[in-house]
Amino acid sequence: MDFTALRRRWLLRWLTSSLCVLTLPALAQTPTADTARVQQLPTVRIPGVRPERFAVGSRRLMLDSLALTNYRTGTLTDALSARTAIYLKNYGPGQLASITLRGTSARHTAVLWNGFNINLPSLGEADFSLLPVSGNAQIEIQPGPAGATYGNGAVGGTVLLSSATRWGAGWRGTAQADYGSYGLGAGTVEAAFSNQKLAVRTSLLYRQAENDFPYYTREAQGLVRRRQENAAFRQASLTQDVTLRLGQRSEVSAAAWLTDADRQIQPGIGTNNTRAQERDQSRRLMAGYRYVTQAHEWAGRAAWFEDVLNYRDEVSGLSESRVRTSQAQAEHTWTFAPNASVRAGAEAQHFAAQVDGYGSQPRTENRYSGFALLRYDPRPRLRLSLNLRQAMLPGRRPPLTPTAGAEWIALQTAQHAIQLKGNASRSYRAPTLNERYWRPGGNPGLLPEQGIGYEGGVTHTLTATPAHLQLQTELTAYRQLVDNWVQWTPGASYWSPRNLRQVRAQGLEASTQLTWKQGRYTAAARASYSFTQSEKTKGVATDNDPVGRQLPFVPLHTGAFSTDHTWRSWQLSTALTFTGYRYTDASATEFLPSYLLLNATAGYTLTARPGWRLQLLAQGYNLTNRLYQSYQNRAMPPRHGSLSLRLLWQ
Amino acid sequence: MKLLNAFSGLPGRLLLGSAATLSLLACDPSTDPKPTEQPIVTRSVFVVNEGNFLRSNADISLFSKASSAVTGKSLFSTANGRTLGDVAQSMAVQDSLGYIVVNNSNKLEVVSLAKFRSKATVTGLKLPRYFAAASAGKGYVTETVSYSGSNGRVSVIDLKTNTVTKTIDVGVQPERLLVAGSRLYVTNSGGNTVTVINTATDAVEGAITVGDSPNSLAQDANGNVWVLSGGKVYYNADYSTDYTRTTKGSLSMIVPGQLTAITREVASNRSTPNRLTINGAKNQLYFTYLGGVYTLGTGDATLPATPLIKRSFYGLGVDPQDGTIYGGIGSFTAADKVIRYRTNGTAIDSFTVGIGPNGFVFY
Repeated sequence: MDFTALRRRWLLRWLTSSLCVLTLPALAQTPTADTARVQQLPTVRIPGVRPERFAVGSRRLMLDSLALTNYRTGTLTDALSARTAIYLKNYGPGQLASITLRGTSARHTAVLWNGFNINLPSLGEADFSLLPVSGNAQIEIQPGPAGATYGNGAVGGTVLLSSATRWGAGWRGTAQADYGSYGLGAGTVEAAFSNQKLAVRTSLLYRQAENDFPYYTREAQGLVRRRQENAAFRQASLTQDVTLRLGQRSEVSAAAWLTDADRQIQPGIGTNNTRAQERDQSRRLMAGYRYVTQAHEWAGRAAWFEDVLNYRDEVSGLSESRVRTSQAQAEHTWTFAPNASVRAGAEAQHFAAQVDGYGSQPRTENRYSGFALLRYDPRPRLRLSLNLRQAMLPGRRPPLTPTAGAEWIALQTAQHAIQLKGNASRSYRAPTLNERYWRPGGNPGLLPEQGIGYEGGVTHTLTATPAHLQLQTELTAYRQLVDNWVQWTPGASYWSPRNLRQVRAQGLEASTQLTWKQGRYTAAARASYSFTQSEKTKGVATDNDPVGRQLPFVPLHTGAFSTDHTWRSWQLSTALTFTGYRYTDASATEFLPSYLLLNATAGYTLTARPGWRLQLLAQGYNLTNRLYQSYQNRAMPPRHGSLSLRLLWQ
Repeated sequence: MKLLNAFSGLPGRLLLGSAATLSLLACDPSTDPKPTEQPIVTRSVFVVNEGNFLRSNADISLFSKASSAVTGKSLFSTANGRTLGDVAQSMAVQDSLGYIVVNNSNKLEVVSLAKFRSKATVTGLKLPRYFAAASAGKGYVTETVSYSGSNGRVSVIDLKTNTVTKTIDVGVQPERLLVAGSRLYVTNSGGNTVTVINTATDAVEGAITVGDSPNSLAQDANGNVWVLSGGKVYYNADYSTDYTRTTKGSLSMIVPGQLTAITREVASNRSTPNRLTINGAKNQLYFTYLGGVYTLGTGDATLPATPLIKRSFYGLGVDPQDGTIYGGIGSFTAADKVIRYRTNGTAIDSFTVGIGPNGFVFY
């Protein structure tokens, strides 16, 4: 209605991507039945302590290598939406994808790379389509609040990306080329070397697509077939990791991750195509030092990130954004008894933002936090952890965020194991730079959001050794209250974020995983289901949204079922996901219909000579040719496919 | 223009309504059959729900005055099995047809008001805003074209073929428009003028200087054209409003045929007056300003100092039959509400419509 203000609001909306987006709980992949997951310095054999050791009583799911290998040239959006019951609100293939964990929004999920939060500081969230799978050896998801363990934004959950070092593995490498529908072309090369002293890994990825797929839309003359316009992208990623052992007790490591995406922004169905285009570049560098003795571990890490987001369209013109983040972490871990360890540390972050939307001068902000993590196993079958973190934000001090967790192995026989677990946690989310500084509307006085959540669950593992069968089933229930929830609302002339409401998210997550081996046949099957109820429970008078309604874009039901089979040199994988209906407005009246998506991969491996393997893979997506929308009014491709040729050597 | 051309849609009804009168006079032809004293009767209120930008969820809700209830929440999509489009900016009526301007779909949807079935789609417009019909055969649409500061335009629509026959260059960001007699008045909200176009020839007769950023207009019982201007808003570097430079809104009166206006400024530059609307008797003006609804008589010597209703609305309408005031709340997140008020400003009731009700058409 008010043109320029409106356009600017759209732009902001685009940039903040998901104002009223919500979320969803996720379910499952491999629940890591962790005990102390340790990483070994091989010759010294003194374990370093991984941060997950202090996350006792939380559900965790890991995308295993089998799950990841089919998405080697894809992004986290592709892998997570095909293999988990997590709902990613996706604006089209290769377009913005916002995660929704446990009924919260993308701003409430912390994405950590080697321990550093890589959410865009301006938006406070990550676009999962900008995060290639390539270069990340390990992808783990820990749903639920964990502010003490993972810091800012770990409200709905945490996504942990890392590259575990393998020592003494010699030379390894992979090269892959993909060719697929709608102009898809991709290539990746990964090479790694390690001996007992040095580990190096390099990974390169390039992918592009025209995305000129057909879709159907109802117009005055009936159902009309159209080709998607303005949805092409090009994307590249380079990762480089180096770890060098110095003597017997210490190591230095360095890593770089550069990503560059040049995307046309897919217009909504039936909307004005303004030739929108977005360039996203992230440069992430980090270096660390670790010194380990029998009882102590000292670690220091520093990182420098630069995130560029430049948006342009014919109506709004160009909007540029560049944020540089410098940060450092230091921690000391003391294993003071065989069954007890404590870690204390601190983190400092400095943000320097040059964002058109904030005005001409740069904006800077410092954030600090200190933490103490305790792990204590009083009995062999009982594990406890107690964590604390205190953050300091500009002009604000979020509450102390403790986490307490427990795991108890209630039953352990040769065949059956039953583990009970639970935890309670506080969490916080610092206002994003956009929420504080965007002009007009930015609200520097925003309070941090804070959550308090609980979860409890049970894991059952059935092992039938003679039959080579393992069945692992996990059931988790959770509830979380988030206070001071920030919402952008229209004012007299512009929109502004305010601490408007309390949101309660609660739900159930069930998952089961079966692995079975019979001769040369192996099979793995995973099923997961999430029930997520997320509602506004309290609000201020100026907040028009009703209470007690499911939040928009949070499906009540999601599910995933995947299988992987290998027989001799053949492999077959299937991935079926169900996404329930999602309301599109806060009054829970209009909704997007639910959909089932089926993907499958068939492959054959040729072993030409020892150490060299050649794989041919055929992948099919949306095999039932489902017409669906992940986000409102954005077309998604019909049935399509790709062929991959992969060379592996070791 | 919300209530905008409710009036231009009335002639058909008035003619029908006056059929009895005419038949009485049938054997004695009158030189002046003008049915000026016929009461206006409205039964339905079409509520324009703008929808969320880029989500193509705009639609029209139908409110029945007889049952005081919404009888069709998503009238267009229910009747036509497809969505209306992206950002419904306005709706106007001509004869038995509704013309819905769908801004970010660059089109004008023509529907039958009886069943709301789609009759035609006029495409190829460039960021269209408002529609007004001059006759059963001719209509006009204002188009922003671009936000770069260059001139917008008015497209001339042949209502028989539903095609654009020509375009007329006007000022920057043309907004609401009004047909008064043989002239079309177009508010150029990016400047301080009203373009006057001859509806017989489509020639520009001239531009009338009014206050800064004219946005809406209405014609009173005496034939005068009232123009409301928001005032030009200046921003500081941080996009906060610079009130030292921002100009005050104003209300102008134009006597048809003249290319001058008499302009009165409002008291404060802290708010931009908008959504000028007139009652059925065409002697009482309403507009939004300073978080409220203000009203004045066309003969009042001074502008109102206090609001009639203390509430800000995204859409404003006045029922020409009884003066009931309709205010639309625009939250843009939930299904929004429309609140009804008596002419004295006391609330009557409210009803739920779609996303962002920005205007009302009484029929």
